[in-house]
Amino acid sequence: MNRREFLKTSAAASLYPLLGACNEELRWQKSAYIKPTSSRVAVLAAASYGNGLRETIIRGIKLFGLEMKGKRVVLKPNLVEFDPKAVINTHPAVVEAAIDSFKSLGANEVIVAEGPGHRRDNEYLLTASGLYDVVRDHRVKYVDLNTDEVRLIDLKSSFTNLKQLYLPETLFNADLLVSIPKLKTHHWAGVTLSMKNMFGVVPGAIYGWPKNALHWAGIVGSIVDINSSLPIPRFAIVDGVVGMEGNGPLQGQQKNSGVLVLGDDLVAVDATAARLMTIEPRHVKYLNLSGEFLGNLERDKIEQIGEDVERYQQDFTVLEQFSYLKKVVS
Amino acid sequence: MDQAVTFLNQSQNSDGGWGAIAGKQSNTESTALGLLALRSLEESREKPAVRKAEQWLTNSQNSDGSWAYGAGAKTPSWSTALAVIALSDSALEVERLVKAGNWILAQEGSKPGILAKLILALSFQKKAVHLNDDLIGWSWTAGSFSWVEPTSYCLLALKKMKARLSAEAVKERVDQAELMIYDRMCEDGGWNYGNAAVYGDPLWPYPDITALALIALQDHRERNENQVSLRVLAKTAETTDSGLAIGWSSICLSLYGHDNSELTKRLEQKFAKTKFLGETKPIALSILAAGDGPSLFRV
Repeated sequence: MNRREFLKTSAAASLYPLLGACNEELRWQKSAYIKPTSSRVAVLAAASYGNGLRETIIRGIKLFGLEMKGKRVVLKPNLVEFDPKAVINTHPAVVEAAIDSFKSLGANEVIVAEGPGHRRDNEYLLTASGLYDVVRDHRVKYVDLNTDEVRLIDLKSSFTNLKQLYLPETLFNADLLVSIPKLKTHHWAGVTLSMKNMFGVVPGAIYGWPKNALHWAGIVGSIVDINSSLPIPRFAIVDGVVGMEGNGPLQGQQKNSGVLVLGDDLVAVDATAARLMTIEPRHVKYLNLSGEFLGNLERDKIEQIGEDVERYQQDFTVLEQFSYLKKVVS
Repeated sequence: MDQAVTFLNQSQNSDGGWGAIAGKQSNTESTALGLLALRSLEESREKPAVRKAEQWLTNSQNSDGSWAYGAGAKTPSWSTALAVIALSDSALEVERLVKAGNWILAQEGSKPGILAKLILALSFQKKAVHLNDDLIGWSWTAGSFSWVEPTSYCLLALKKMKARLSAEAVKERVDQAELMIYDRMCEDGGWNYGNAAVYGDPLWPYPDITALALIALQDHRERNENQVSLRVLAKTAETTDSGLAIGWSSICLSLYGHDNSELTKRLEQKFAKTKFLGETKPIALSILAAGDGPSLFRV
């Protein structure tokens, strides 16, 4: 071995632990996942929060053949903060239409549940956002996931060092968890959609605000670890009627897209929603990682039903440091 | 407030604690505030409900002096400071409180490492937040960042316990934590959770967090930051509409010598109308705000 070869070998050996850590196959329990060969995502037109949302959502749910009779459904909107001048949260009309839809499809119980990520004042958020009126008028239970009783689970992937996570008991008693996020850009994660919305199921009483332990563990890794380990089937309804661009998730500007995005593969739903924002899903780190084992993000693996994405695509502005998200490759 | 007191008594769990809402498993935060609320009422002080709540807290203290948030999670938690505040005037064995005080002293919020700071400096990216991350307070969970709310609870707990702990250790932590809170103040006064602005966009003050920070900083009431923030609080309290926000605002304004009768009246009206959605915290705060409660937060 000459000097050059020795140096090459030494360098490779010193990098081995790093390369090992980058080997994604080691980061999730291979036996726990069967990535679908293809996924379906519905983009449905919804020009406003007025009449017709309920019918649109029912049509969307039916497209996926969800059997809801006798089931307990947890609806998880994005209720994170309230500012009367901004469009931060899932619009209560979408939550209301979802409650109506699942009930009319035979669900035995519909629960609205959220663990607000930024603001602790539950009563304020519920009443100011208008969500309280919805849950009261529809006589559905609201659960503050931040202070719910908890159960410890082992994470099935290790994109963070968390290894285990306390999750609210409400999730374990449900048959379906429906993520209902707002279509928004995000100043740490690039975008916040149905998968990032799951930060809200993590109890703040244990992990702090704004779910700070997850931020500290790594936002991208936390999104993947949570979504890889939730103990319940999921569905997504993205509120893209009015979204947010720029300095989201709290301080961005309103951007109208006029759509709802629905699906049972949350990776595919988020990839499609990102395309609606003219954002390349492969460049969104949590989507790129999730696309390896949780679901599909490639365009040719997603059967688009409903409207054409191109027709409803809007150029959502992003903060300068996320300009790479806009370099479309697929 | 009679109705709120009745509600609080009725929602006490058989184990002596309170859950976040009636019927839920007891947790440290709700129990500490429930206990303080009952202790603020002369007619309740000697009642079994108070003894039972104290018992729940003492029984659930971890061996290292900390408290977990609730029975489901054994991890030591930020709610330790609230348990200390609630028990600091009780007739408990002092050793328990000293152990808890020392546990608080040993906890520190984390800060970005040198490598992380270097990478950020070299990335030429616009800095997300402008704060002095060398100033350490307390975090929600071990190994994460310092935030205003847990730091306020810990400051208050240490200030109430200072005679029983190492004066030097308390002074060192208190001095730095106070600097941290002042550093995080919003541009025009008051506090959001921990940042005054993100990417140049200012964040707005929350009434509950502003009140908590001011309660923790009550021994600096003449400072300009306190006075400015107090005015912000008085103004936001006029329009805020939640039991939690009005409750903490009312307690804080009373501690600073302001008339809080209008706020306590609003709490009473709100309780009659919504029962604060059945949440223990605002119910306890509304009782605390109405009676001698603010004095329980005096240092």
